Amino acid sequence: MDNIENNVTADRLAPPSQVRPVAIAHTLAKKGRGRRIGAWVARAALALCFLAGFYLSVFPSGRATVRALSILPGLLAAAQPPWEEPVAEPITHSERTLTSPTGTVYLDIYAPSTDAPPVPGAREGILLIPGVGDQRKDAQLINFSRTLASSGLVVMDLTTQTLIDNRLDAGDEEGIVQAFEVLQRWPGVGANRVGLLGFSAGGPLMCFAAADARVRDKVAFVTLFGGYFDAWTLLQTIGRRELTEIGETQPWHPVPYPLQVLADTIAPLMPGNDGQMLANAFAPNGRESLSPAQIAQLAPSSAAAYHLLAGDEPGLVDANLAALSPEVRALLSSLSPSRVVTQIHAPIYLLHDRSDQFVPVSESLEFAAALARLHHPYDFAEFGIFQHVEVRANSGFSQLVGDGLSLLRLASEVMQAGS
Amino acid sequence: MPVLYLVLTWALLGLLVGALALAARLKPASWGGRGWLWLLALGLGSSLFGGLLGFWLLGRLFSSAAALWMAVLVLCLPRLVDALRTRRGSQQ
Repeated sequence: MDNIENNVTADRLAPPSQVRPVAIAHTLAKKGRGRRIGAWVARAALALCFLAGFYLSVFPSGRATVRALSILPGLLAAAQPPWEEPVAEPITHSERTLTSPTGTVYLDIYAPSTDAPPVPGAREGILLIPGVGDQRKDAQLINFSRTLASSGLVVMDLTTQTLIDNRLDAGDEEGIVQAFEVLQRWPGVGANRVGLLGFSAGGPLMCFAAADARVRDKVAFVTLFGGYFDAWTLLQTIGRRELTEIGETQPWHPVPYPLQVLADTIAPLMPGNDGQMLANAFAPNGRESLSPAQIAQLAPSSAAAYHLLAGDEPGLVDANLAALSPEVRALLSSLSPSRVVTQIHAPIYLLHDRSDQFVPVSESLEFAAALARLHHPYDFAEFGIFQHVEVRANSGFSQLVGDGLSLLRLASEVMQAGS
Repeated sequence: MPVLYLVLTWALLGLLVGALALAARLKPASWGGRGWLWLLALGLGSSLFGGLLGFWLLGRLFSSAAALWMAVLVLCLPRLVDALRTRRGSQQ
């Protein structure tokens, strides 16, 4: 290279009779310059490869990013892509039950079948409540759990008899704490690397467990997807059939399922036959409405609960809330994460479908606002690619990319605990 | 079978990094005419070693990233050693 440059300098000084050799030398010099630029480009590419490879494998935040990237396609496509097979850990599935004061707790555990790698020495554990109802055979839940386990995490799906019966009971906290302790002791799992993930109405239950004095300093994170913050404001939004998002009020119409869950939850606290009538009205084959004669048979507090759920008196929501029985008011309070938010020590990650028809997005916005007021570590993202907590089939490409990046950010934060 | 695909990925990464090292003129002049082949082989070997080390230490998910930086690191060494030797020779 140096020789070529020297020749060029010599040729520049040569007389006009030597034009041809000068032109050749110019061409050679150009080629040499091109090669030199090519070499520097290659060196820059090598430096980039080194930095990227080093960061993604040695730094915990880099490993969390790799993990998040590896689970994202599986989550968005609702099935693990075949090209991920070489990097997917072989996994096992087992079932266990626990006995808690509120009944049997059912656990489905998806775990890598190999030992935890020496770095970082222990695996992350995720205790997951998929929501109300029996979701254990749901294809998306199984895919989600398997995808997480394939990336090296131990996933424990939890449901209780109360949840299977489409009801909510704050007493399930005991079973969740028991399951958390089981997961902490699971082979390969780091005791300080276990987090809680609650979908839909599973979120509030996870909050109660995360606030429990026995485990609150051991919970690595709490992730809530499509959950509510306050059962009182949730009922208010359902009653008004409109939600308020950043000062703007807009119509909101819930699907029948959350009405059924709320009716089943408060029904046992109603006098006489009122509870049965309310539960029947909002059952899957119910009419979601009672005749004026049936409403006249209800006690005033039961009628108020009915009107709130049916949404037929949107202008009287505050009066109907005030007319609820003290037992129902106490139940709503006991089922609200707002009650325990100050006792949670772990960082909280909130995710919500912005057009969620099961639980309004305003609930997560209120949760995020409360966490900001408390200076509690949190992150919040709204999505358009989900229908409540399930992947929407017809999302556009730009929405998929935009929401995918938000999901990647939150997933990386959640994966940090095990990286 | 999945592990075989993983090993093939490390090998491919090693060859690609070796080719990049050739383009970056990291081949020491003292390696002679067949030096390019040695550089590719070094890329392949170091990537396989890095991948294996990453697989064992960090888990299979991070093995390819480990293979990548290990291959780059090892491929820079001969040129570095050559440069040090030349500098030492010129000082003496």
